[in-house]
Amino acid sequence: MSLADPATLRTRVEETGLLWGLVGLVALLSLLPIGRLVVEGLAPGGQLSATALGKVMASPATWTATWNSLTTAIAGTILATLIGGTVALLATLTDIRARNAFTFCFVLPLMIAPQVTALAWLQLFGPSSTLLKLIGMAPPLGSRNPLYSREGIILLLGLQYAPLVFLTLRAGLRALPKELIEAGLAAGASPLTVLRTVVLPLMTPPLVAGIALCFVSSLGNFGIPAFLGIPGNFLVLPTLIYQRLAGLGPGVLSEVAILSLLIGIIAMAGILLQDLMLRRRDFRITTTSSAARPFELGRWRRPVEIGLWAFAILVLAMPFLGLLSTSLIPAFGVPLNAKTATLANYAYVLFEHAASKRAFINSFLMSAGAATLIVLICVPLGYFIVWKKSRALRLLNLAAELPYAMPGVVLAIAAILLFLKPLPVLNVSLYNTIWIIVFAYLARFLVLGLRPVISGYLQIDRTLEEAAQIAGAGLPRRLVTIIFPLVAPAAVAGALLVFLTAFNELTVSALLWSSGAETLGVVVFSFEQGGDSTYASALAAITVVVTVGLMASTTLFAQKLPQGVLPWRD
Amino acid sequence: MTLTRRRFTRHGLMMTAAAALLAAAPAFAQAPSGKLVLYTSQPEKDATQTVAAFKKAYPSVEVDIFRSGTTEVMGKLAAEISAGQPGADVLLIADAASMEILKAQKQLLAYPGAKTDGFQAGSFDADKTYFGSKLITTGIAYNTAAKEKPTSWTDLDKPAYKSQISMPSPLYSGAAAIMLSTMTARPDLGWKLFEGLKANEAVAVRGNGAVLKSVASGEKSYGVLVDFMAYNAKKQGSPIDFVFPKEGAPAVTEPVAIIKSTKNEAAAKAFVDFILSDAGQKLALWMGYIPAKPSIGSPSWLPEGTKINVMASDIAAVVKATEADKARFATMFGN
Amino acid sequence: MARLTIDRAQKRFGSYLALDDVSIAVEDGEFLAVLGPSGCGKTTLLRQIAGFDKLDGGRISIGDRLVSSAQSHIPPEHRKLGIVFQSYALWPHMTVAENVAYGLTVAGVRDPERSKRVAAALDLVGLNGFAERRPGLLSGGQRQRVALARCLVTEPSLVLLDEPLANLDVHLRASMEEEFSRFHERTGTTMVYITHDQAEAMALADRIAVMDRGRLLQLATPSLLYREPANVTVAGFIGEGMVLPATILSAPQAGRCKVSVLGVEAVVRCRPDQAVTGQAKLCLRARDIGIAGAGQDGLPATVERLSYQGGFFRMEARPASNQDIVLHLDAAEPAPAQAGEAIRIAISDGWIIPESVSLDKAA
Repeated sequence: MSLADPATLRTRVEETGLLWGLVGLVALLSLLPIGRLVVEGLAPGGQLSATALGKVMASPATWTATWNSLTTAIAGTILATLIGGTVALLATLTDIRARNAFTFCFVLPLMIAPQVTALAWLQLFGPSSTLLKLIGMAPPLGSRNPLYSREGIILLLGLQYAPLVFLTLRAGLRALPKELIEAGLAAGASPLTVLRTVVLPLMTPPLVAGIALCFVSSLGNFGIPAFLGIPGNFLVLPTLIYQRLAGLGPGVLSEVAILSLLIGIIAMAGILLQDLMLRRRDFRITTTSSAARPFELGRWRRPVEIGLWAFAILVLAMPFLGLLSTSLIPAFGVPLNAKTATLANYAYVLFEHAASKRAFINSFLMSAGAATLIVLICVPLGYFIVWKKSRALRLLNLAAELPYAMPGVVLAIAAILLFLKPLPVLNVSLYNTIWIIVFAYLARFLVLGLRPVISGYLQIDRTLEEAAQIAGAGLPRRLVTIIFPLVAPAAVAGALLVFLTAFNELTVSALLWSSGAETLGVVVFSFEQGGDSTYASALAAITVVVTVGLMASTTLFAQKLPQGVLPWRD
Repeated sequence: MTLTRRRFTRHGLMMTAAAALLAAAPAFAQAPSGKLVLYTSQPEKDATQTVAAFKKAYPSVEVDIFRSGTTEVMGKLAAEISAGQPGADVLLIADAASMEILKAQKQLLAYPGAKTDGFQAGSFDADKTYFGSKLITTGIAYNTAAKEKPTSWTDLDKPAYKSQISMPSPLYSGAAAIMLSTMTARPDLGWKLFEGLKANEAVAVRGNGAVLKSVASGEKSYGVLVDFMAYNAKKQGSPIDFVFPKEGAPAVTEPVAIIKSTKNEAAAKAFVDFILSDAGQKLALWMGYIPAKPSIGSPSWLPEGTKINVMASDIAAVVKATEADKARFATMFGN
Repeated sequence: MARLTIDRAQKRFGSYLALDDVSIAVEDGEFLAVLGPSGCGKTTLLRQIAGFDKLDGGRISIGDRLVSSAQSHIPPEHRKLGIVFQSYALWPHMTVAENVAYGLTVAGVRDPERSKRVAAALDLVGLNGFAERRPGLLSGGQRQRVALARCLVTEPSLVLLDEPLANLDVHLRASMEEEFSRFHERTGTTMVYITHDQAEAMALADRIAVMDRGRLLQLATPSLLYREPANVTVAGFIGEGMVLPATILSAPQAGRCKVSVLGVEAVVRCRPDQAVTGQAKLCLRARDIGIAGAGQDGLPATVERLSYQGGFFRMEARPASNQDIVLHLDAAEPAPAQAGEAIRIAISDGWIIPESVSLDKAA
C-alpha cells in the first residue's frame, strides 16, 4: 500500500534525487580533477607508466619538501590556532569594547594576498624598514633577513591563517547559550575553569574545523614559502611543484601530478584525524537561548583591549600601510615624502588601464558567485554528511580537501586537461570562458565553505529539523525555512572565507584567464612581474578599500538578517 | 659578439615606428585574416602594445592573447599538449631553452621563409623554428647607496659584497637557468663564481621582479638583474643603477615561434614576419629593449656608445647541461 | 478502531535489540503513557511511530494506514501526527506566532484562516500576548506551551509527547499536567506520552505501557498496574513494590489465597487460575503492611530507619527471619517505634505475581 502512496514516493524521489545530485556535483568538483591528475601522473598519454612515480619517489628533494611541508604546516597551524582561538574567545566572551569593529578588522588580513603580507613583514625586519629606521634599529644594508627561514614561514602562516580559526570559532561561540556558562559559574567554577571545562569542549567542532582549514591552507600555501623559502632554498611541496613546472622537461606534468597527490594524501590524513577527534561525542546545543553575558575583565579590560588592537594593527595595518606607501611613490625604493608622493599610480590603474576595472568586476562577481554557490551546495551537503550520515558523501567529504590543498596552478592544469575539449554530449566549450575559472573556484574553495557548515550542523539539535518534518514539511522546504536559517551563521562565515580568499586568488586564474576574463590577481601579478610594483600596490590598495566598503555596507541591511549571521555584528 | 648602439630618442622613435608601419602595411601581398592566439610572457604593457601594433599592420587578424609568467605559460601549453590540443598559434616567451624543448617534442612549425637577414646568426634557430626578437641581457644592478661599484662578475665574490647580493633562482626561472649554464660553462667564471656567491651568502629569489624590489628597497645592495628592468626603474626614480660586467652579459632573446598545430598558419607567419620586420624591431626598441637586429638602433637608456659584450651561449649545450647544473645549484644553495 | 497499532515491532542497533517484539494497540481518543527507565526503549518506540527511524521487523499502523514495516516506510512528514519534544525544539529564528503557524503554512492554509487558528491555539495555551516574541526570550513553561500550541494547531489525530515535562520545575509540572489532561478531554486527540516519571503517567494516562530493555512488560490501566503487576520488574518499578518469596498454601478462592511469607501466614490477592506452588512471588506495597496490633500475629523485625514524610513516617525494617530483605511501611505520627527497636509487622494485603519464574529471569 505504502509503495503506491504518491506523497511518500515524491518525498523519496526528492531526497534521493538531492542526495545523488550532490554526490554527482561533489564528485564533479573534486574527484574529476583529481582523477584526471592521477591519469596524468600514472598514465601520461594513455600509456601506463611508473617512470614519473619512480623518479619522484627516488628524489631526495621530494622527501625534504614533504618533511618541510609537514613541519611548517603543523607549526603554522598551532600558531594560528593559538592566535585565532585566543582572539575569538576574548572578542566574543569578554566585555571588551568595540568588538564589532575589532572583529571586522581581524578578518580583513584574509583578503590581503599572502605575498603582500610576506613582503610587508620582510620590509619590517629588513634594512629598509621604515619602522626600524624610525627607532634607529634598522639592521645594516645587506644583512640577512631573519624571516628567510623555516621559523619565518611558520610565523607568517600562523598570522595569515589565524582569521580562519577566529571566524569558525566565533560562529560556534555565538551559538553557545548563556545557561551553560552560568551553570558552570554557579557551580563555583572560575571563568577560566568554565572556559576549559565547558566552553572549549563544546566548541570542539568549530575549533577542529578551523584547525583543519588552517592545516590544509598552510599545506597548500605557495605565496609565503615562495617569498621566504626560495632565498634559503627551503623547499616545501608547493614550491617544489612550481620548481618542477619551471623545469619544463618532458613528463613534467606527470611529476607535478604525483607531487600534488602527495600533498593531497597529507591533507586527507589531517582530515581523517579530525574525524577521529569528533567521533563519539555529543556537541549539540539547543539554540533557543540568548547569547551569553560577557565575562567582565575588570581592570584587565584596558590592557586586553590595547593588546588586541595592537595585534590587529600589526597584522592588518602593517601590510596595508606597506601597500599604501608603495602605491604613492613614483618608483620602488624612492622614499615616501611630501615631494615624492604621487597619485599617478592610482590614476593609471583607475583611468588608463581598462583591464584593472574589468578585473575588479570579474573578480568580484566570480568570488561572490562562487561563495553563494558554495553555500547553496554546502548546506544540503552538510545535512547529508552530518545528519543523514550518507556514506558516499562522507568519502567525498575527504576528496573535497584535495583541490584546496594542492597548488592552484596544478588545479588549473587539471581544469585545462578536463575542459580543453568541448564537453561531451552538450558540445559546449568552457575553455577560455569565465566558467572554467568559476568551476576551478568552486572545486578549490568548496572545502572553505564546507568545514564551517559541518561544524555548524554538529552543534545544532536535530529535533529542530524533526519538528518541521512532523509538521509535514518535505526536505526542500525544511532546508529553506528551518535548516538554512539555523546554519546561517556558520554558512556565512564559510561564504566570507570563500569570498575573501577567491577575491585575491592568483594561482588558479594565472593559467585559466582569457582576454576579458582577467581576475584581480592576474592583473596585480602582471604588474608585479613587469617590475611595476607601484601599479600593483595601487590596485591592491584600491581592492582592499573597496572590499572593506562592501563588507561594511552589509551592516546596513544586517537588521534583516537572522541574528549572529554577520561575524562582525553582535 | 660585440654590439655598438646608437642613441634614439623615444619620441622620435615613435614617429619613425608609426611611419614605418604605415609604409610597411601595403607590402604584404595577400592579407591574412581570422583568429590568432598568442601565448606570451612579455610584461603586460609590452604584450598589449605588440598586439596593437601588429593589428595595425594586419587589421583583419583578430588576436587573442594569453599573458602570464613563463612557468605558467609553459605549464598551460604542456597541459594543452597533453590533452592533445595546444591552444596557441604563436608563442613569444623569454628564452630559447624552452623553445628547444618544444622543438624536441616536435611542437614547433619551421618557417624557412622567415626574413632573418640582418639578424645575428645565433639569435635564431638554424632550423628556422624560432626566432629571437630582442636581446635581454643580465648584468649587475646596485643600490645607489651601495659602497661598491661592481664592474665584473668576480667582484661579487669579494668580501665587501658579503650577504648583500640577490639573484633570480635558476630553479624557478628559465632565463636564470640559462644564465647559470652559460656562466658555469665559461672557464674564467665557472662554478668558482657560484661557490664564491654561496660563500658570500647570496640569496636566490623567485624572479627578476623580486631582485629589483630587494635592490631598489635597499634590502640587498647588489642584484643579478635584467637590463631593462633596472633601467626603467632608474628612469622612474628608483635608487638603482646597472652595469654590464666586463666578462660579458648572458642574454636571452625572447624568441617567437609558430605552434605546429596552428589552424591559421598564414596569420601566424604574418606575426613572425611582423616581429622580425623593421617595424616590429623598432617597436621593441621603442618599448625600451635592445632589438635583435643590430641595425635598428639601441634604446634611449643605453649610454651612447656603450659596448655590450654579450656572453655567447650554445643553447643546445645549455639544454643538455641545465638539469645537472640546477641540481648542483640546489645542493650548493640548499640549507 | 484502534488509532495506533504497533504489531511485534523490532528495532536493532548493531547487535543490541532496542525494541523486542513490542505490540500495543492504542484506541481512538486514548491517552497512553509509555513508562520506563532511561534506555528502556521508549524513545526508540516513539521514533518508530514518528517515522524517524526504520523498523527492522513488525508493523506500525496509524488508523488503517500501514506506516512502518521492514519493507515499507512512510516518512514522518506524511504521517500527519504531532510531537511535543523534550527540548521543545522551537525554531529560534521565528517568532512564537511563526512557530505555531508553520504546520499550517506547510499544509497550505492561508491567511486569514491561518492567523485565526494560530491565535486560537495561542489562546488555548494562554499565550495570546506572546505572538511576536522570540522563543529565546520565553521561560521554560512558556516554551512548553508554544510547543504544545504548535503541535495542536494542525489538529493531528495522534500526538506524541516525549518527556514534555522533564525540563520543568515541580510547580510547573503540576499545572502542565492539568493542562495536558484538559486538552485531552477537550480535543479527544489520541495521545502517546513518553515518560520515566510514574506519578506523571498515573495522573494522566488512560493506560500505561511499562517498558524495560526493549520489551513491553505490561500494558494496563494505572490502577490495575499498581494493584496487579504482571511481573517482578513492574512490581518493583511501580509504587516501590517489595517482592518477597512466598509459598502458596491454598487454591484461589474469590481472587484470594493463603500464603506463607517469611514464616508468617497471610491472605492475599491472586489470579483466579493461580497454581499452588512453593515458588511464588508476593508483591507488597507499603500500605499493605503495618505494625501489628496487640495480640495480632506478626512478622518480627528490627526498625532500621525512620524518615518523616509530612503527617506520617516512612519506616524501614529488617525481618528477623531474613536479614537480606528491607521492608518499608508507613506509620502515623507519633512514631510508634524508634530505630533499633523490635516490632512485629502484620500483612493485610498483597498480590501474587502471576508470571512464570523463567520469564522473570530472562527479563
